[in-house]
Amino acid sequence: MVRSKTPLFLLAVLLAPALVGLVVFRLYPIALAVSDSFFNMLRGNQVFVGLDNYVALFTDSAFWKSLQVTLWFNLLINPIQIALALGLALLYVQKFKGVGFYRVLFLIPIGVSLPTAVIIWRIMLSPDGLANGVLNIAGIPGQPWLTSESLALYSIIAIATWKGISYWMIFIIGGLQNISPEIYDAARVDGIKPWQRLVFITVPLLRPTLLFVLVADVSINFLLFAPIFMLTQGGPADSTNVLMYEAFKSGFIFGDMGRAMAIIVVVVVILLLIVGLQFRLLAGKPEGK
Amino acid sequence: MADPQLKLRRGFTLGVRHLVYAVIAFIFVLPLWWAIVSSLRPNTEVFADIFPFTVNALLPSPLSFEAYAGVFERGFGLIIANTMFVAIVTMIGGMIVNGAAGFAFAVFDFKGKKIILTLIIISFMLPFEAIALPLYTVTLQLGWLDHVAALIVPSIANGLAVFLFYQFFSQVPKDYLEAARLEGVSWFNILLRIYVPLSIPTCISAGLLLFVFQWEAFLWPLLAMPSQQFKVIQVGMAAFQQQYQTIWNQLFAVSVITALIPIALLLPLQRYYVQGLAGAGIKG
Repeated sequence: MVRSKTPLFLLAVLLAPALVGLVVFRLYPIALAVSDSFFNMLRGNQVFVGLDNYVALFTDSAFWKSLQVTLWFNLLINPIQIALALGLALLYVQKFKGVGFYRVLFLIPIGVSLPTAVIIWRIMLSPDGLANGVLNIAGIPGQPWLTSESLALYSIIAIATWKGISYWMIFIIGGLQNISPEIYDAARVDGIKPWQRLVFITVPLLRPTLLFVLVADVSINFLLFAPIFMLTQGGPADSTNVLMYEAFKSGFIFGDMGRAMAIIVVVVVILLLIVGLQFRLLAGKPEGK
Repeated sequence: MADPQLKLRRGFTLGVRHLVYAVIAFIFVLPLWWAIVSSLRPNTEVFADIFPFTVNALLPSPLSFEAYAGVFERGFGLIIANTMFVAIVTMIGGMIVNGAAGFAFAVFDFKGKKIILTLIIISFMLPFEAIALPLYTVTLQLGWLDHVAALIVPSIANGLAVFLFYQFFSQVPKDYLEAARLEGVSWFNILLRIYVPLSIPTCISAGLLLFVFQWEAFLWPLLAMPSQQFKVIQVGMAAFQQQYQTIWNQLFAVSVITALIPIALLLPLQRYYVQGLAGAGIKG
């Protein structure tokens, strides 16, 4: 470290803006969510109600249904996104004449925000839209993608996946480029088949990257909001009513901030448990190190 | 090399590869392509050529620019300018604030440094959505509701950006700094003359992350701006969609504009953006 004395005043000036910002706008809101979840608004006054909001939540079937939707949604979307992102990344890193053109195309959806993706897909999935038109070629009748209880959640998964793949692909490309080519050369000399190379070499060596992508992806999808707000408002028949939307509804439509905060606290606790579990199960040191 | 059969086989493999890639890329980019094509058609023609499906559905015919004209008549020019303002102020403020903190963490030793750094890393793992609702209460307490400050100030301090700068500044050899200190150069000048010029690539990475974050922000501006007098693009677009569900070509035009601005920024600066994101992944 620096031998000359640390100038304390300078240190304070440099650190203060960032630290104050992070404390006020990141840490304090978390503390506030926890404390507000113990209060209720009664005739304009905040009244301490202890664990009442949580008790009410855990005895509310709407909450359990919403939790179920959230978990099912995440159980599907995260593996799908990561598998497709891995596939696309493997295509991306291949080297042959003209691959640069495809690389640009693979990267383009990064610039597409979730609301943009939602607007485009809503029209694509409308009864007269492109999706049904393409199905029609194969003689399959049009589907009510966004208005049917059995399809709406899967349509949202498709939209969020399409938007997410190229973003996650970037991280995996970074991981792939860290694998030394000599390992592949050795594998080729030993006559290992491409699928064996993928399962026994690439994926194990990618484990730290894949773990990071999994944790980050789960965190985002667990709190996914925009597509549900814009497309289905939790419907039809609550089939897309994830916890994040339930919290928004409680706080901003029904004005019950205590319940909203309790839901947010529960969501974050579940998320932390899942992330912790993922680290426990997947973070072991890679073999041969 | 001269073996004609080998050459033929290689050519064939290359052809198959191109075919596979082209099909995958086509499916992948199809929604965006259809959006662009449809934004260039009159509204009555958006769903033409789909039932029965013909290749014409993927071509902008008849060609018309009325959707783009219509979008700007609806005030999306101002909304884009608003969003640009928010994103650029956040970007510049964020580079200064997070860069300064990253420099302090990299160069100085002080009590509690490790703990604070760990907290910062944890802070960027938790998505913004998780704190959006309680942040609304904070904004209420500060009296910033419906004020532009509510969009900008909370987004300036960014754990990922601090981390990126910290990582970069840690790699700068301390010899420069020691030599400059012995010469009696002030800390401010060391920062400005040595560290800032060296860190331009990191500035671009962090700046892009902050810009894209603000450009794509949806939930937060929705909550923080209840009166919607100051509109930003994602929320403005969603509101437009809810109000005019059937002006498809204009909806597509707004979507295309909203997507093209970050794409135009990210494609040439792709390397920096990827480095910024990869910096987040490395620590895992």
